[in-house]
Amino acid sequence: MTPKERIRRSLVRIGAMAAKETLHIQRDPRTLYLALGMPVVMLFLFGYGVSFDLERIPLAVADRDRTEESRALVDAVTAARELERVAEVPAERADELFRRNRALAVLVVPEGYGRDVARGERTRVQLLVDGADSVSANQVLAKVDALVRAETRRLSGPGLADRAPPLRVQVWTRYNPEGRSALFMVPGLAAYVLAISAVLLTALTIAGEWERGSMEQLFAAPVGRLEIVLGKLLPYVVLGMIELQLVLAFGTVAFDLPVRGSAVLLFSIGFFFLAGMLGQGLLISVVAKNQLVATQAGALSALLPSLLLSGMVFPIGNMPLPLQLLSRIVPARYFVHALRGLLLKGNGLDVLWPDLVALVAFVVVIVGLATARFQRRLA
Amino acid sequence: MTDPAISARALTRRFGGFTAVDAVTFEVERGEIFGYLGANGAGKSTTIRMLIGLLAPTSGAARVAGHDVATAPEAVKASIGYMSQKFSLYLDLPPVENLLFFGGAYGLEGKALRARADELLELTGLAGLSAATTGELPGGIRQRLALACAILHRPGVVFLDEPTAGVDPAARRAFWRIIRDLAAGGTTIFVTTHYLDEAEYCRRIGLMVDGRLVALDTPAALKKTWVPDRVLVAQGQGLAAAGAALLAREGVRGVAPFGAGLHLRVDPARWGEREVAEALAAAGARDVRVAAAEPSLEDVFLAVVDRGGRAEGAA
Amino acid sequence: MTGPSPRVQLAAVFRKEVRQTVRDRRIMFMLVAAPMIQTVIFGFAVDFDVDRVPAVVVDGDRSAESRGHARRLLADGTLLRSGAARSVAEAEHEVDDGRAAAVVVLPRGLGADLLAGRAAEVQVILDGTDPNRATVASGAVSRYFGEVGESLARERLLAAGVRPPAQVEVVPRIAYNPGLETPPFMIPGIAAMLLLIVTTIVTAMGLSREREMGTLEQVLVTPIRPLLLLVGKMAPFVVIGLVDVALLMAAGTWIFGVPLRGNLLTLLAGTLLYLMTTLGVGLLISTLSTTQQQSFLGGFLFTMPAILLSGVMTPIRAMPGWLQAITWVNPVRYYVEVMRTTLLRGAGFAELWPQLLALAILGGSILATATLRFHKRIG
Repeated sequence: MTPKERIRRSLVRIGAMAAKETLHIQRDPRTLYLALGMPVVMLFLFGYGVSFDLERIPLAVADRDRTEESRALVDAVTAARELERVAEVPAERADELFRRNRALAVLVVPEGYGRDVARGERTRVQLLVDGADSVSANQVLAKVDALVRAETRRLSGPGLADRAPPLRVQVWTRYNPEGRSALFMVPGLAAYVLAISAVLLTALTIAGEWERGSMEQLFAAPVGRLEIVLGKLLPYVVLGMIELQLVLAFGTVAFDLPVRGSAVLLFSIGFFFLAGMLGQGLLISVVAKNQLVATQAGALSALLPSLLLSGMVFPIGNMPLPLQLLSRIVPARYFVHALRGLLLKGNGLDVLWPDLVALVAFVVVIVGLATARFQRRLA
Repeated sequence: MTDPAISARALTRRFGGFTAVDAVTFEVERGEIFGYLGANGAGKSTTIRMLIGLLAPTSGAARVAGHDVATAPEAVKASIGYMSQKFSLYLDLPPVENLLFFGGAYGLEGKALRARADELLELTGLAGLSAATTGELPGGIRQRLALACAILHRPGVVFLDEPTAGVDPAARRAFWRIIRDLAAGGTTIFVTTHYLDEAEYCRRIGLMVDGRLVALDTPAALKKTWVPDRVLVAQGQGLAAAGAALLAREGVRGVAPFGAGLHLRVDPARWGEREVAEALAAAGARDVRVAAAEPSLEDVFLAVVDRGGRAEGAA
Repeated sequence: MTGPSPRVQLAAVFRKEVRQTVRDRRIMFMLVAAPMIQTVIFGFAVDFDVDRVPAVVVDGDRSAESRGHARRLLADGTLLRSGAARSVAEAEHEVDDGRAAAVVVLPRGLGADLLAGRAAEVQVILDGTDPNRATVASGAVSRYFGEVGESLARERLLAAGVRPPAQVEVVPRIAYNPGLETPPFMIPGIAAMLLLIVTTIVTAMGLSREREMGTLEQVLVTPIRPLLLLVGKMAPFVVIGLVDVALLMAAGTWIFGVPLRGNLLTLLAGTLLYLMTTLGVGLLISTLSTTQQQSFLGGFLFTMPAILLSGVMTPIRAMPGWLQAITWVNPVRYYVEVMRTTLLRGAGFAELWPQLLALAILGGSILATATLRFHKRIG
């Protein structure tokens, strides 16, 4: 048999395996939902539900001064919708308010505030903040600080501007000028969604076959290991690419996600990332051979790294060194980085080639490992 | 006159448009070993599932161990034992743990449970098993363990769905010894099987074809009803050709190879042993010996299925 | 004749479940060790505080003043000098290629203008791809130069003999978590999240596994009561869940300094009720599925939104109203509140009874539904 003939026959076998696997997928609607429905649901939730910006911060007030000036300060702070005055309590009850989740902070205006302001002296107001919620606490601090400064400037009256020239800070933002977190999140989400569905689906279905014993039958047929691997993964690659399209389309339509870079580069990077994730799922299923173990291992190895160590939400640069090193073997990291650069900045291969190389390397290593492990089951 | 252990009246089960069990009616007496035969898919397992309260009948009624299966399924379950066709004990647990679990499910505990478990291990010849998990046990031993789990609570009625499937002949015989001992002790046994030699152990046999109960009687009566031919066995040399020639003769209803010899079904009015031997020799066979044989249940089975459940002659 | 004793039946199920679970070392790893590992990684990786933002300073002035400003600007560590650029164009290139996230442009003549009392303008160019980081960077620059401007204004007023206006300073006092560290906020949330994933999915798959293996039929034929079967299946995982919580709390305290202030009994009650709910959800899912694969997918598809909409990562207050309404039936939300309020805010039953009640109601109704759906018939 000529090499060409051999390859042709090989492809036919792979095609047959892929066709059978596709039938399986079609017959189970829940699998399809995971692959196609979940990404949309996640995007939806992330787009609308995941935000750090609080719109109405509940603020309690403890006004010990009760003068016109102190009331003016309180009004200035709560005038904007951002801070909502929810209660007027003595400062001692702050703990209780925090525990019952009624307020995030208590503004304490000391006795003598009005007198000090009238005399033009330096005075202090206290802001008791619920530090248990560090995310919200930061926002409260920043907002109250800004509002009080504004009030201070108002107190200083007109005329100051003539004497003391301002020092302005002009801010320009390149890419994503409105600062929408959706644009930041969607590439990360694409990675997360692809990683999860790729790893879990392959881990589940193949481990399921091991458990039911149909794998043994496959080994009896004259199919090579690599052919089995490729044949089984092929439909999931197709499914994954559809998913990627779906995520990008949804992102574009619902969140105005720009797509600045080359589409070819985009789908090449997507393809290699997907292949790597499928290989990971395959490796897990070959090692686990048991659906329960495979799913837990899959969730552990796919969910955690894609969510945390990919730079999707938390910047890698801020993590301790061991984790930064760990993230280097997480393909999602490279995918997220490349996707962001490509979509938002229009980066090309000249900038993104390290990411592509890393993804290809991962695919080669993991498919090799999975195939090798497969063999030992036969022997 | 005591109540029958099992009674079914027009018991029917439909799955969508498909009727799996069609108006089955019968009674099983206490202490009887009742066999239930039929082709795959004839409706045997479905019938059992209705009788043990696992599947609700579409219509008709049944009473098992004094309880109605439709209105009091849980009472039925407490009074019966069941061994399913597919092995359904926990493969990842050691054998004794399976016994302890199912014993507990039936309300046994403590020393009484342990004693009963030990007793059953002895009874089924499983004492001193060293397997760490049930999955490690060979098939025949696993089946005996399943039987043990089914009778922990000394039920009056035991349902066995193909209990010896895939088990070697020696183990099968051992199994049936246990079953006969149980029956002797007063337990009613309802068993389905494909092994027709085992069916001979039953006092009465029911035959299902396509969801209908088409025959119900003792093995002897069934043979007489369904295989009215005389059955003969011939031994010798050159029988194959001779037998084929004989088939053309009138009154010869069936000739089939049987081991090294022939299995013949003939009209008893025209043919006897001597006549057949002479005919075979005349047709070229040598060293012919012909003896009378009992029709086997296999003959009955084939005849029933063949005729679609309609008997020739008196039913 | 009375039926078999429920106590005996329950004990039998419990014993079997424990034996089965403990025998499988891999599952035990997934259930006990894996959450620990994940928590530690999570704890180190997750940091909401953004600092060391890579920045480039383009000093067009090159005066002593401008260099001084640049140095002081970078002093507190929010911005990290990532490179040098001689022109704005060069600096923008750094941003485009992803090497810098912020560029501070100090114009020529800045020092002289400030000294002479003329108006001056500083420019900041941000990479908007990561809006959070951009906000932090621009905030740092604005704050720094804002203070510079204010103190300059003050000096000039004093020099001109005008009394400067009153200064109102906000003094923050942060309760419970003075350093606004992320771990005390995140670790309770992580514990809730991991507990959910582990218990719900494992229980969901457990019952389906029995169905697939065929053992369920044998069990259904016994007079075991459905409620006892379900409760017995849950029981070992309640124990494992409690062990997990204890381990995670220990890790949180020893490694990350999470405080242990409040009433631990409340925490225990909350944990038990939460476990009842999550396990109940798992069982409910398994009554709706026939195969392990379906169970897993169902469980997984529940846990993902549940985690996102729970306040673990992002505040519930930041969600739109209709999503906030959905969180009313999310057990994760209540448990996270219980955890954070007891551990960090030092609360007890008096403040947390609403959350405990909510968990009890949710858990009870879910378990009741699962029991009703679980028929001891297969048709």
